[in-house]
Amino acid sequence: MTEGKPLDFTRAITSRLGGETIIHCYQCGTCASTCPVARTTERYNPRQLIRLALLGQRAEVLKGDAIWLCASCYNCQERCPQKVEVADVIYALRNMAIREGNIPAIYIEFATGLVSEGRLAPISKFLEKKRTEYGLPPLKPANMEALKAILAATGFDKIMFKKEGASP
Amino acid sequence: MKTLEETKVGVFLSDCGGQIAKILDFEAITNFVKSVSGVVLVARGAEFWRGQGLQTIVDAVKTRKINRVVVAETVPKISEVAIAKAVEGAGLNPHLVEVVDLKDHCAWPHKDTPKEATEKAKAMLLAAIEKVKLQEPIEKAEFPAVKSVLVIGGGAAGMQAAEDLADMGFQVYLVEKEPFLGGLAAKAVRFFPTDDCAICIQSPASLASITQTSRKCVYRSGLSEIPNLNILTNTKVVKVEGGPGNFKVTVERKPRYVDEKKCVACGLCTSVCPVEVPDEYNAKLSKRKAIYIYKPLVYPPAYVIDAKACKFHKCAKCVEVCPTKAVNLDQKPEHVTLTVGSIIVATGFREYNPSVIKEYHYGEYPDVVTHLELARMLDAFGPTGGVPVKPSDGKPAKRIVFVQCVGSRDRRWNPYCSSICCMISLKHAAMIKEAFPDTDVTICYIDIRTTGREHEYYYERAREMGVKFVKGRPSEILHDPATNTLIVEVEDELLRRLLELEADLVVLATAMVPSEDAKELAQILGIELDQDGFFKEYNAKLRPTETKRRGIFICGGAVFPKDVPTASLHAHSAAVKAAKFLMNGKIIKDLRVAVVNQDYCGNCQFCPVICPYGAITLEPKGDGHFAANVSELLCEGCGVCVGTCPVGAIELHHLKPSQISAQVNALLSINGTSKPLVLAFSCSECGHAAVDSSGMAMMSYPANVRVLRVPCTGVIQIQHILEAFKAGAQGVMVVGCKPDGCHYEVGSQKARQKVEMAKRLLQAYGIEPERLEMFNLVFIEGDKFAEAAKAMTERVEKLGLLQLA
Repeated sequence: MTEGKPLDFTRAITSRLGGETIIHCYQCGTCASTCPVARTTERYNPRQLIRLALLGQRAEVLKGDAIWLCASCYNCQERCPQKVEVADVIYALRNMAIREGNIPAIYIEFATGLVSEGRLAPISKFLEKKRTEYGLPPLKPANMEALKAILAATGFDKIMFKKEGASP
Repeated sequence: MKTLEETKVGVFLSDCGGQIAKILDFEAITNFVKSVSGVVLVARGAEFWRGQGLQTIVDAVKTRKINRVVVAETVPKISEVAIAKAVEGAGLNPHLVEVVDLKDHCAWPHKDTPKEATEKAKAMLLAAIEKVKLQEPIEKAEFPAVKSVLVIGGGAAGMQAAEDLADMGFQVYLVEKEPFLGGLAAKAVRFFPTDDCAICIQSPASLASITQTSRKCVYRSGLSEIPNLNILTNTKVVKVEGGPGNFKVTVERKPRYVDEKKCVACGLCTSVCPVEVPDEYNAKLSKRKAIYIYKPLVYPPAYVIDAKACKFHKCAKCVEVCPTKAVNLDQKPEHVTLTVGSIIVATGFREYNPSVIKEYHYGEYPDVVTHLELARMLDAFGPTGGVPVKPSDGKPAKRIVFVQCVGSRDRRWNPYCSSICCMISLKHAAMIKEAFPDTDVTICYIDIRTTGREHEYYYERAREMGVKFVKGRPSEILHDPATNTLIVEVEDELLRRLLELEADLVVLATAMVPSEDAKELAQILGIELDQDGFFKEYNAKLRPTETKRRGIFICGGAVFPKDVPTASLHAHSAAVKAAKFLMNGKIIKDLRVAVVNQDYCGNCQFCPVICPYGAITLEPKGDGHFAANVSELLCEGCGVCVGTCPVGAIELHHLKPSQISAQVNALLSINGTSKPLVLAFSCSECGHAAVDSSGMAMMSYPANVRVLRVPCTGVIQIQHILEAFKAGAQGVMVVGCKPDGCHYEVGSQKARQKVEMAKRLLQAYGIEPERLEMFNLVFIEGDKFAEAAKAMTERVEKLGLLQLA
């Protein structure tokens, strides 16, 4: 059932910033009960996600889309009786997933935009026209030099543009 | 200064029925011992701790041939005691005996190197001889033990312990801060798993009561008529002075304003009282008057006035109307001093206030209640006559949801499990279903914990009665003002579905926490609280109900939340301990204690602070200075103070500095192996036990490792370690209890700190710090001791010969 040695995945999570407290979870379900996303879709349940992670189900957790559905409202982290930093654990899982090449398409779009134009979303002609109509000044282009330096220093493009399924 | 009489040492060598003579050369050992100065008699035999062998020692003592005894014998933990007793009977001070274990500490572990073992045996005997030559007689002291006991807390546990001791003939003072006995039990109506009355204490009838049948509840037991039992309600402990066997306790008696001896509990006073206040006994679900009594009655059967609510002489209607003139509005608080030999703490626990858990809205929504509040509603004597209602409008509650683990198992509030709340919820749920079967009852839980005898049947019964269970912890309780309904949001994990349970009443199984006076009382008594704020037992396994302070015992819910059967057991234990302590009317103590050389003491205050038993105080010397003074009664003889004193002003009667030096030198004076000598200071508790067990199991380690036994590793000073290196040790081991298991609380941790400091010092001297190491071992880790001994030997072999300038 578990892939690799027992606790391999758990240790990988606890050694990541934000993932340290995952081991305190005793599956009480407070997070799932208070989660605004979990009540609207079957695709996401933070308690179940943590359970899968602690049972070593690496592929299901990192390749699935559940970790991307958290809205970061932090209700779970506020109310957890074991002080598990649920939202921060999910961020840690996201970072692990990306480094293994599991990146939702939308994030690749955002990343591409960021690297080329310095913007997450492209500016449309419609938007430009409307700005002029409302008497707003035109949008300045982003300071690509500074941004490129930051992205290079953090290894952003190497992380973001890995092929899916490549090892970290 | 005492002149030492000439010491004449008798050495008795047991070859354990001839067995260890197959390994050790007893002839060589006997010849060696004969040559040691001060030895006047050497005998060899099969056994010396009983039978004819013991008689040989006794005869030698009686005929005054010897005045010091060294015995090489098996299992010293037992034989030592038997030999010392016999020697005392023969007229010699029993502390002038030293027993050496040549079997488990020499022959067995070194059976593969018999020649080396023999040399080590010589060194071990030499050390014992030199030590005992320097030993002076140690006397006994007697301290008074007053045969009376103070029991603090008149709940289930307190009443039980008080009755036991009174029946045994001790004067008992049962002190209760509330105006009535009963504690939490009295409010809880029924107790699981039998669902009988909460106020039951099952005990043999007091010897003095009229009927001899057993099983009398407090109400029917005539508790107050038991001889020797003095009940003081409305009373708190304010000061404790004196010491074990003879405590002087000052208690403050709050005025009742009603004379217990005159009140006939007719109730006329309460009917004319104009003041109404919320009734805390009934969880404020109803009101009571300023003059009131608890129902059902426990003790005393007398009304009491709430001083905060009463108008006193501005009203005084109760005074007018009382048929026996029992009301006295001018009563003043009274201080009473009690002299007791022992104190038992039974202050119980209380419910945690869950209003801090904002998402549950306790205190905000009136229909969110705790178990105690529900219990009052379910009590036929209570404010709603046994019907669970919504406090907001008084209507019967038809849909009830229980929430478990509220403020328990919660790192934000109380991380521990409160132990009894699962059973309490099952009890209440079943009670409700029994009386009102069409009520919808749901319990939301993380785990259902029903671990006691018959507890699992309780859980089964609840399910059979139709109580619903949702595995999930609610995240929030909402309120719909339109329908005045509560909504409990919870994920049913087993269904993997979010539920929004509608409820008329939500019952929070809130945590059980120590009494609000626990901290203050702990300070007054000089005892400790644990990390959760409960009174700390010295050792739950080996010494239950004891605390760090001799003569002060703790029991019941004050130690940790528990059900009444367990509290009862605990109370009986504490009573036995107190009785054991006081039954002889005096405490006789061997003065194996520390003593201060007042001329050297520099009043640095290290030792009073470090003593785990508070046995050291500072006394004025008369010339404006203070010096440390050790209470012979409180001292446990561990020597942690000795290890702490920077000027060597304090020493143990049973292990003087000269005796440590003598042993160090003796153990290292003979090698006989090709390996470097390693000296292991080992504590008499776990450390020595680990050495014993390694030998008993014949685990092998090299004979260059020599063991020096001390009471506690806390006695070790850095100079002892340096002395060992100077005397020829190439490596030094310190073997003690685990840091959280030191039998003297702090000794092992202090030793660790000293070892770390010593390592730095060694480095400064150009000595490799790896030559020194501390090991924390327990009895069953004999294998780890053997491994450590081998590892240290290999390590110092690699480091080479130590060059001291």
